[in-house]
Amino acid sequence: MTHRPPSAFLEFVVRFARNRGAVLGAVIIVLVIALALAAPWLIDKNPLRIVSRPEVWPFTNPRFPLGTDSIGRNIFAMIAYGARTTLMIGIVAALTATAIGVVIGAAAAWFGGWIDDVLTRITELFQTVPNILLIMTVVAILGQKIDNITVAIGITMWPGIARLTRAEFLTLKNREFVLACRSMGMSNIRIMAGEILPNAIPPVIVLASVIIGSSILFESAIAFLGLGDPNVASWGALIGDGRTLIRRSWYICAIPGLAIMLTVLAMNLIGDGLNDALNPKLRDR
Amino acid sequence: MAALLEIRDLEVDLFTRRGVLRAIDRFSLTVQHGETLGLVGESGCGKSMTSLAIMGLLPVPPAKITGGAILLEGRDLTKLSDSKMQAVRGREVGIIFQDPMSSLNPVYTVGDQLVEAIRCHFKLDRRAAAKRALDLLDRVHIPDARRRLDAYPHELSGGMNQRVVIAMAIACEPKLLIADEPTTALDVTIQAQIIELLKEIQRESRMGMVFITHDLGVIADVADRVTVMYAGKKAEEAPVDVLFDDPRHPYTRGLIGATPKPGDERRHRLVEIPGTVPGLASRPKGCAFANRCPLVFERCHVEAPALVHQAEGHAAACFLADQMEDCDVASVGA
Repeated sequence: MTHRPPSAFLEFVVRFARNRGAVLGAVIIVLVIALALAAPWLIDKNPLRIVSRPEVWPFTNPRFPLGTDSIGRNIFAMIAYGARTTLMIGIVAALTATAIGVVIGAAAAWFGGWIDDVLTRITELFQTVPNILLIMTVVAILGQKIDNITVAIGITMWPGIARLTRAEFLTLKNREFVLACRSMGMSNIRIMAGEILPNAIPPVIVLASVIIGSSILFESAIAFLGLGDPNVASWGALIGDGRTLIRRSWYICAIPGLAIMLTVLAMNLIGDGLNDALNPKLRDR
Repeated sequence: MAALLEIRDLEVDLFTRRGVLRAIDRFSLTVQHGETLGLVGESGCGKSMTSLAIMGLLPVPPAKITGGAILLEGRDLTKLSDSKMQAVRGREVGIIFQDPMSSLNPVYTVGDQLVEAIRCHFKLDRRAAAKRALDLLDRVHIPDARRRLDAYPHELSGGMNQRVVIAMAIACEPKLLIADEPTTALDVTIQAQIIELLKEIQRESRMGMVFITHDLGVIADVADRVTVMYAGKKAEEAPVDVLFDDPRHPYTRGLIGATPKPGDERRHRLVEIPGTVPGLASRPKGCAFANRCPLVFERCHVEAPALVHQAEGHAAACFLADQMEDCDVASVGA
């Protein structure tokens, strides 16, 4: 009798938890998510409303624990609501990038030939254009709205996913179980989506988690440059607005900057942990 | 009634940078309903290429069927569209590959994979398919089948996995089963069990079977008739008893001489066939076996011998086939 090994999920959790940094990252992200979810209960008014005189320093007025910005908006409210924007953009952009990248990479590897050539050239084309320029162009064309910004980031970040997926599919498609599946009469789509993809997805998930972090950075950069959505609280926009006062009231930039740094760092730490837990090549070293 | 499978003058070419290489050259074989045909030959002689051609799974490019026909109950599989062929695979022809570990998808349980195999062709809901999967595991004699449904391939032994692979191959009740070296990757004791299992299943379901191997000992056990393949061509074909009693092709004789037999391991050394199968790029104009043949003479180098009919169902592609009757098997190749 074979003894049943612990369930795959439990094994995954154990491997992930073995990486201390990853656990720290997970804790930070959970806190950010909690803050984002709790925002409407903590502050029941529009975070972009002017509530006080400008430049109230943090920890001086209990009504505004993190102070107010250059025009008198509650920084804590903007951080809390900004967390929603930031997480939403990071996750949706990464999902968009992953969806595009997986489809293109998988199709390129599976069909090969001229389809592979064309798709690979397109991927390289996207990689040669500087990301921030491409995002700015797309936002400028589509308009400064939060969903447009998300889409713009998503369609900028997919080439990495596409290349990784293509590489995984190329090795997997020659495995014998794929031939066995075809010999049972499975269709191409079914083999790609149902049989190869589950084998190819772990490294893609790792990369996607890192892309969440980069997407957050890009959103902040876009907002900092003033191309963000003016109707949505955003960490990047807060830094952008506060930059003129950086000598006198440096906290206006520092607080959202810290938030961005911690969140992106946490995402990268999580990516590291996912790599340990999911990447079979590094297993059991 | 049409034969279950009839391959007629099959030609498979490989289109490579070095030119067009002929991998299978006017190769024919027939399998009747309920019959087991043994297909024997060394590595690289085109056995697996033939089985992939039947399944319509040749790697295109570089391989391409350039001539001949593969008739399954009279219907030419080489002329079927991709989607029609998809309906044939698994449903009418099943195949078992050499290495059971790599034939199974590592991320799914055995049960899930069986259910998928069943639902490729049968419109069953998951529950009914799962029930059938359980029956199939019972049928291939996997003990404690209900629990094994939830096992992953890496949790099972090679023999168990090969049983699962067999269960998947027969899941949709194909009429023809191709077993491509199904025991080569297994321990000897497990080999015998798997062969017994295949014989049993074949007997019960009246499937036709093509059993591919390089092991003549196995062939003697399973096959009704044997086709010996050499360098993409048929070297000899005979009912199994005839082949072992009265082999007419020097290559067949060499293979038999190179197979250990019980009782005489002390008296005779195993006789090896010198050299290797000529590579695709260096196939000679004459007989492909000429460079290794102990009986070679001038004609062999200039002209490829045609199949010579010997007796009922017995043919050999050798100029000397008629003169081989009383030749001592072991002396050939020595």
